[in-house]
Amino acid sequence: MSIALTRASSAHFGLRWLWITPLVLVTALIAGTAIGETPIPVDTIVKVLANQMIGTDYPVDRIDAGIIWNYRLSRAVVAACCGTSLALAGVVLQALLRNPLADPYLMGISAGASTGAVAVAVAGLGAGALSLSLGAFIGALLSFGIVIMLAHAANSGVGGGRGVQAAGAIILAGIAGSQLFNALTAFIITKSASAEQARGIMFWLMGNLSGVRWADVTLAVPAALFGLLVCLWHRRSLDAFTFGADSAASMGIAVRPVRGMLIVAMALVTAVMVSIVGAIGFVGLVIPHAMRFIVGSRHTRLVPATALAGAVFLIGSDILSRVLVSGQVLPIGVITSLIGAPAFALVLVRGKRS
Amino acid sequence: MRLSAEKLAWSVHGTPLLTDVNLTVDPGQTFGLVGPNGSGKTSLLRLLAGLNKPKAGRVLMDSQPLHTLKQRAIAQSVALVEQQADTTDRITVRQVVSLGRTPFLSALRPWSTEDDAIVAQALRDVDMAHMADRLWHTLSGGERQRVHIARALAQQPKILLLDEPTNHLDIRHQLSILELVRQLPITVVISLHDLNQAMECDRIGVMDGGRLIDSGLPQDVLTANRLEQTFGVHARVIDDPADGKQIMLFRSAI
Amino acid sequence: MMLRLTTAIAASAVGLAQAAYASTDYPLTLTNCGVDFSVTSPPERTVTVGQSATEILYSLGLADRVNGTSVWFNPVLPQFADANEAIERIANDDPSFEAVVNKRPDLVAVQYEWHVGSTGSVATREQFHELGINTYIMPADCDTKDNSTGGDGTRTAAFSTDSIYKGITELAEIYDVQDAGEALITDLAAREQRAIDLASSLDLPEDLSAAFWFSSTDLGVSPFVAGQLGAPGYMMEKLGIRNVIESDEEWPTVGWESIARADPDVLVIASMDRRRFPADDIEAKREFLRSDPVTREMKAVKNNRIVEMDAHAMSATMRTIYGLETLAESLSNMSFNE
Repeated sequence: MSIALTRASSAHFGLRWLWITPLVLVTALIAGTAIGETPIPVDTIVKVLANQMIGTDYPVDRIDAGIIWNYRLSRAVVAACCGTSLALAGVVLQALLRNPLADPYLMGISAGASTGAVAVAVAGLGAGALSLSLGAFIGALLSFGIVIMLAHAANSGVGGGRGVQAAGAIILAGIAGSQLFNALTAFIITKSASAEQARGIMFWLMGNLSGVRWADVTLAVPAALFGLLVCLWHRRSLDAFTFGADSAASMGIAVRPVRGMLIVAMALVTAVMVSIVGAIGFVGLVIPHAMRFIVGSRHTRLVPATALAGAVFLIGSDILSRVLVSGQVLPIGVITSLIGAPAFALVLVRGKRS
Repeated sequence: MRLSAEKLAWSVHGTPLLTDVNLTVDPGQTFGLVGPNGSGKTSLLRLLAGLNKPKAGRVLMDSQPLHTLKQRAIAQSVALVEQQADTTDRITVRQVVSLGRTPFLSALRPWSTEDDAIVAQALRDVDMAHMADRLWHTLSGGERQRVHIARALAQQPKILLLDEPTNHLDIRHQLSILELVRQLPITVVISLHDLNQAMECDRIGVMDGGRLIDSGLPQDVLTANRLEQTFGVHARVIDDPADGKQIMLFRSAI
Repeated sequence: MMLRLTTAIAASAVGLAQAAYASTDYPLTLTNCGVDFSVTSPPERTVTVGQSATEILYSLGLADRVNGTSVWFNPVLPQFADANEAIERIANDDPSFEAVVNKRPDLVAVQYEWHVGSTGSVATREQFHELGINTYIMPADCDTKDNSTGGDGTRTAAFSTDSIYKGITELAEIYDVQDAGEALITDLAAREQRAIDLASSLDLPEDLSAAFWFSSTDLGVSPFVAGQLGAPGYMMEKLGIRNVIESDEEWPTVGWESIARADPDVLVIASMDRRRFPADDIEAKREFLRSDPVTREMKAVKNNRIVEMDAHAMSATMRTIYGLETLAESLSNMSFNE
């Protein structure tokens, strides 16, 4: 392909996404609002949305209106933010750590969040003053901090931070940290929880969007946007890590500050998401890989594509979690794992063949 | 651009890897770095590239100390071709070489046709233009090496550092890369194992045990004595009948 | 059937003022929750695992034979406060095997099978029996329940107070205090009947619906609500109320969306001393119902038809009958004209 052709088609590609992205996102959000545990007719949904957004005055049952606007729409928005954030965290960690298995859970974030949540809910930490979410947030950051310190201790000075060794140290530290906090969680549950508490916590730990309201949206949306903007701003830096940290440095990237800043930003965003919706797995792992197959590894395309795919994936998973079993809501983490695990296997196999 | 090192020292976990290294490379010169394995060639190149901060001493570009410069500023002048750098990403040759433009790209200065032209030229220089759209993982070791060199060339550096760049190359490409690098009007420091090829450099330096034990014109430095003492080989040094250049014939290991 | 029999006996005893109380023949053999055991003489020393078992023993006047208690959900019934003070509380939650055995009990009385069942969190029944300690599990937890499934087990048939009375009768037999047992049952049965009569006298609407809310892991998250077959289901059935929750599980989690659309006429919310989840606090429950944009539109919330009930009454214990009374009384204070 000549240079001219490549440039033209890539510009065309970029422009197309400019209108495809909002269209796909809005469609997904509407689907998330229209489909739920109980059936609500489409015209009711349209009327409620019209009332709320453009100030019309259709008569609607107030409970239906509350469900559609306060429960389902806010839930869909948060699901989108959560999916975007987790997927982007996966992209960043995979780029910086040079490891295709890297994702937020690797850094011990979800294990720590679980411990924090369980400490509050089961061991009674904070005596009712601390909410489950706050406990999860603190736990996530605590475990992440420990993982970073572990990685630093393991890696100080060796090879001067050579790409492979630094990444390997972080992953091992993340595994160690996750195991430690998972053990703590298990300890608290077996020691203090009744069967009912244990079941309640398990449900929360597997990811749960049922408690989401508009207040959570005011937290989730800025966090997700922040994460997205940080990733877009550093897209070239992420590309520069293709051959490792040393290679990035030789191409002018201030490795330590950039890597540190990106990891901390992603950790914060992930911790916020986990504190709102619990621990949801496979999103940060599978979505980036799937998107690499479709748009390639260059982060100028990968970052926005992953953000969109993550949002749609989680909205879709949330819809499935509410309709798969009638009268019951499955934890969303179960859905993402049930889809994510075989999807990841598929990605691996296809990768081998081509 | 002149590259100089003053009293460089470097150690890792208390083990000294470089001690009191001083060298100067005049602008446009090609400086060959030779020495047995573990003598500190890679460590020295990393310090010269600004990847690590020396434990003592300093590196200067013209008269500017490296440690006063930001990484990006360094990268706009210095390019490094590492011994080993690999990736599992599905990335094309052209995309790899394009990475070399990173130090110059910014929000205010996005990718342009000029960058396309620089990348194309770099590919031609290393004879990889016909493989520009091949995927990285389909390339052989030698081809990958050439792509790395092209990436460094795309950086349009004033100082080019190469760490054993000819290791995996076939003889034709070894010679053509060396020829290319020598002809570039920029300052080059290249580490080599093939001592006969090192003779083509303007000046060479010999490293042993973390020290630069000798430097100067190749024929002055690579004497039979030096080959015995530092490299541990018996060799016969003769002159090429055609042009009088020094050739070393390696006989046996000590 | 048990109810009528014992009521008949009690009635005739009162009427004839003649003591015709049975006395236990030892050795006594019983099948309790699938396990046979025999008792050769009335137990002198007892340890309880579960507040329900504890309070039944106290109600039978056996406080002096209880040496240790454990697994408490809220303060003991006030009439037993003094007696309870003198007895060591081994643990507020699950006791350890050694702590129980250390009291050298003859019998361990248990409320929930999962504490001593095949995956017993304290110990298995066999472990106790090996040391010559008998274990008695309240029939309410195993007779109509399959504890091998679900988090809290699944009811295989609807709970009824008959299993409470059975527990009282059997314990009275074991301890040879059958007169106290019968008196207790009479009293409880009478209270039950009064509550049922009160409800029917109220001329409640035909399809009165309700839901019982125990707690939630977080406010706004799907709550634990009562299924059809447990103690709340029993209460609702006896008073002629329809449970909007259709599940057979003991305490399923059902989304507020589904509950709101079912729009029950009455909401019963649990009050408890435990503060693990934010929704444990009954004030927090009320506040949530008032402020959440969907739940505040429910007719039970708008018309303040919210009943507060002791959480312990919502599980299959003696207090279920007090809960029934509470519910009937609350209903009598409500108006259903909209």
